[in-house]
Amino acid sequence: MIRAEQLGKRVSVGGGELEILKGITLEIKGGESVAIVGASGSGKSTLLGLLAGLDVPSDGTVVIDGTDLAQLDEDGRALLRARCVGFVFQSFQLLPALTALENVMLPLELRRQADAREQAEHFLDRVGLAERTHHYPRQMSGGEQQRVAIARAFATRPAILFADEPTGNLDTHTGERIVDLLFELNREEGTTLVLVTHDVGLAQRCQRQVTLEAGEVLGVA
Amino acid sequence: MSLAATRMLARDWRGGELGVLVMALVLAVGLVTGISAFTARLQHALERESHRFLAADLVVRSGGAMPAAWLEEAGRRGLEQASTLSFPTMVFGAGDAMHLASVKAVSAGYPLRGELRFSTEPFGDSQPAENGPAPGEAWLDSRLFSLLGIASGDSIGVGDTQLRVTGAVRAEPDEGAGLYGYGPRALMNIADIPATGVVQPGSRVEYRQLFAGPEKALADFRTWLEPQLEPGQRILDISEGQPGVGRALERAERFLLLAGSLGVVLAGVAIALAAGRFSERHTDYVAVMKSLGATSRDISLLYGRSLLLLTVLATTGGCLLGWGLQEAFFRVFAERLPVQPGPAGPHPYIVGATTALTCVLCFAWPPIRRLSLASPLRVLRRDIPLAVRRSTGDYLLGLAAVCVLMLWYSRDWQLTAAVMAGLLVVVALGLGGALLLLRGGRLLGMRAGSLWRLALGSLQRRGAANALQVVVFGMAIMQLLVLVLVRTSLIEEWQLQLPADAPNHFLLNIAPEDGPRLEAAMHAEGLQGEPLFPMVRGRLMAIDGRDLPTREEAGEGEAYQRESNFTWSATLPADNRLEAGKWWDADTDQALVSVESAYAERMGLKVGDTMTLRVGEQSLVVTVASLRGLDWESMRPNFFLVFPPKLLESYPATWMTSFYLPPEDKLFLNKLIHAFPTVTVIEMDEVFTQVRGIISQVSGAIELVLFVILATGALVLVAGVQASLDERMREGAILRALGAPRARVLGALAIEFTALGLCAGVLAVISAEVAVGILQVQVLDMHYTPSPWMWPLGLLVGAALIGVLGVYSARRVVTSPPVAVLREL
Repeated sequence: MIRAEQLGKRVSVGGGELEILKGITLEIKGGESVAIVGASGSGKSTLLGLLAGLDVPSDGTVVIDGTDLAQLDEDGRALLRARCVGFVFQSFQLLPALTALENVMLPLELRRQADAREQAEHFLDRVGLAERTHHYPRQMSGGEQQRVAIARAFATRPAILFADEPTGNLDTHTGERIVDLLFELNREEGTTLVLVTHDVGLAQRCQRQVTLEAGEVLGVA
Repeated sequence: MSLAATRMLARDWRGGELGVLVMALVLAVGLVTGISAFTARLQHALERESHRFLAADLVVRSGGAMPAAWLEEAGRRGLEQASTLSFPTMVFGAGDAMHLASVKAVSAGYPLRGELRFSTEPFGDSQPAENGPAPGEAWLDSRLFSLLGIASGDSIGVGDTQLRVTGAVRAEPDEGAGLYGYGPRALMNIADIPATGVVQPGSRVEYRQLFAGPEKALADFRTWLEPQLEPGQRILDISEGQPGVGRALERAERFLLLAGSLGVVLAGVAIALAAGRFSERHTDYVAVMKSLGATSRDISLLYGRSLLLLTVLATTGGCLLGWGLQEAFFRVFAERLPVQPGPAGPHPYIVGATTALTCVLCFAWPPIRRLSLASPLRVLRRDIPLAVRRSTGDYLLGLAAVCVLMLWYSRDWQLTAAVMAGLLVVVALGLGGALLLLRGGRLLGMRAGSLWRLALGSLQRRGAANALQVVVFGMAIMQLLVLVLVRTSLIEEWQLQLPADAPNHFLLNIAPEDGPRLEAAMHAEGLQGEPLFPMVRGRLMAIDGRDLPTREEAGEGEAYQRESNFTWSATLPADNRLEAGKWWDADTDQALVSVESAYAERMGLKVGDTMTLRVGEQSLVVTVASLRGLDWESMRPNFFLVFPPKLLESYPATWMTSFYLPPEDKLFLNKLIHAFPTVTVIEMDEVFTQVRGIISQVSGAIELVLFVILATGALVLVAGVQASLDERMREGAILRALGAPRARVLGALAIEFTALGLCAGVLAVISAEVAVGILQVQVLDMHYTPSPWMWPLGLLVGAALIGVLGVYSARRVVTSPPVAVLREL
């Protein structure tokens, strides 16, 4: 489903160059769940951005669902994301101007899906927020906001779901319930899950763990 | 997408920028639409009014009869027509009594526009007349009755025929044409002309053919007619007459256009600031949408559509506002209005919509378009630089837009260049000066308490952004100051020009021996007149020995022979300014002349040239000794040519004067005319009332426009404060989280904004003083007067307004919990 070969990412900082990732080769199969773990600054989020096509690598290639991302421009990658990628973020990233329902409908509308509303309502129901479809993000707790984000991520039934520290902004109890929900839906929908976290417990619920240190793969377990 | 688009738009209203953006657009559109409709309606009204003074919509003047083909063509085009024929001749009354009269023969239908009034008895109650006298009848000027020794019903002789006098002619719409003519009026029917036998080939006769009808038909007819005009035939323009009103309106229009342009500049700045902040705040949303698969096109469409929707709403609102402003204005002033406002037509609304579209495309769209370039990576990393910041290209585009709009409104590149140069100087000086002032503030602050250090340090840290803000604030305050200043001096000058007791009656043809008696009569009534001026009628024949062509022979712009009134004076007349050469000694016996400078320019005269004049049967050669500037709007007797007393004293002269007659004393005129039957009275009081009415109306319009612009200026300030709010709020929240008491955070904000306001005020007063000076002298033809009161006012307004606005807008920093502020931003 996802194949990364010799991925490298460098950024220029104050005249010099900083190498964030180097020589990363990775293959993730369809339906698999993989955790990317490592300390702060190890390059986890950068790798996630490259795998999801949010950013372009300095070296190497990423192939998603048979498409080489290097062949696509920004808009082409956006279309690919619309087709087969979903996201859950640490800071939820809901649009404050839209209600819960509208937030979930957004990616469906971007795909010009006719039954956007029904699908959105179904997934909000699925995450236990059927009663709160018309509430705005600021009227919800952190846990509720993340559940809306999960409904949004699954609403398009993506082949791959990327999650960036999905429990990072939540207390332990709420975090656990969110993780349960995430894996439950992952199982039901047969989604490939790529998760960035420094939470060891969360990482261990994935089938594989990729550990990064200073931009290099330290080990795969 | 459309659901999300409108939904997001509705919800985004809460952010405040869209409100500012729409309000700025509405005000800009309302302003230009209102101004445009106001001047269009007033101009239309004045044009119709001036048709009244022509007695028609279009008049062709000629020395001979008009070709029949013209009249047929006009008939085919559905135009109404009438003819008049004027000539001087002797009319004969009872016994041997006779008098030179200015005869006007009119056809049925005269006048086509305006009103002809007559009375059955001389000086009797006047009433409107449908037509002129019937064939075989005549109406005479009231004073001709006593001069000819006749009464109503008697007959007079005109040439070979006798006409029965059936009334007194009291007012003709187009009488202005014969003011300095040949004695009192005798009005007769054109059908009687052949019987008189006075009109022979070569006799001095003026034919006028009058036309009236729909605007389109008239314009077409005029186009058809113009190429066929021969020398000596001329289309009379409606712009002849009412110079006072014309000038006042022209100046007012310039001021309104200037104000409108500045209003649009202010609105443009507000729109740009609001759109910039909107884009910055939306960068993260766009990143989320992109991560969810939205393409650049999707984003552009989403925001483009929203912006289009806002533009349509704001344009509609603005057009309504503009319409409402001028309509309400005309309603309020309806009673004081001397003329009925005409229709505005669609043009003002087209101007409004174009303005809205230009503002949106040039000020709002660039940063919003760049939203589609936002990196989706921002969902993972907030430190990705914003792609929406303005580029130099944006500023240039904005500048170009302002230039084009201003040029389009004013069609006056001079005005545009003056204002643009002023603005550019403000920006350049402002950025430099603001940086310097802010740096100075930092040094001062280092030695002050922690509150001040906090505030000034924060000012310094955002140096460049703050300098820009100072320029924006400074520009807004400067424009407001400029408008207030120019408006004040404009209205003051108008009031000075036409004070309530300005002379409103002119007396001409005063016989030298009547002078003292007349002055005594006026004095007895308690009337204060201007001094008596001698008047000798003469004709300019040649310049520097070269004979001039007649008016009919002269080409376009060429000097021609012309008749005018000469006067003499030992001293430079009051209100005249010597512009070249020097004034003569009181008792000089040299043949000199002092020429009015505009007349000199038209005739190509300069000091030292010689002029050959014909006075009566005699020829006179004089040398130009000086050029004088004078104010034609002063309503005092003014003369093109003034001579030394000794030169003209021997020629037959009549005298003239002007005086103010209060409306309740109008009956004095009857007494005057009875006592001095040869004196011609010209009543200007009605014209003046009209001029005053229009000036008060235009002044009112200026006040209204100023008010709208003040609102726009306030919007710029709000938008400017908003633009920097997020960062200040974040800092305030962090400070509070670290334990700073509310009062200190608020105090620091207050100091910061007040300091910004003070800097802006300094910049504003300096540049306003310069700009007003240039505008008064170069554009509005006025005198420069410094305004020291503006200095404390500008500084105070700047500091207070921006301090209060800033603290008010940022009050949420201290009223909401720091965590809420930090989480939201």
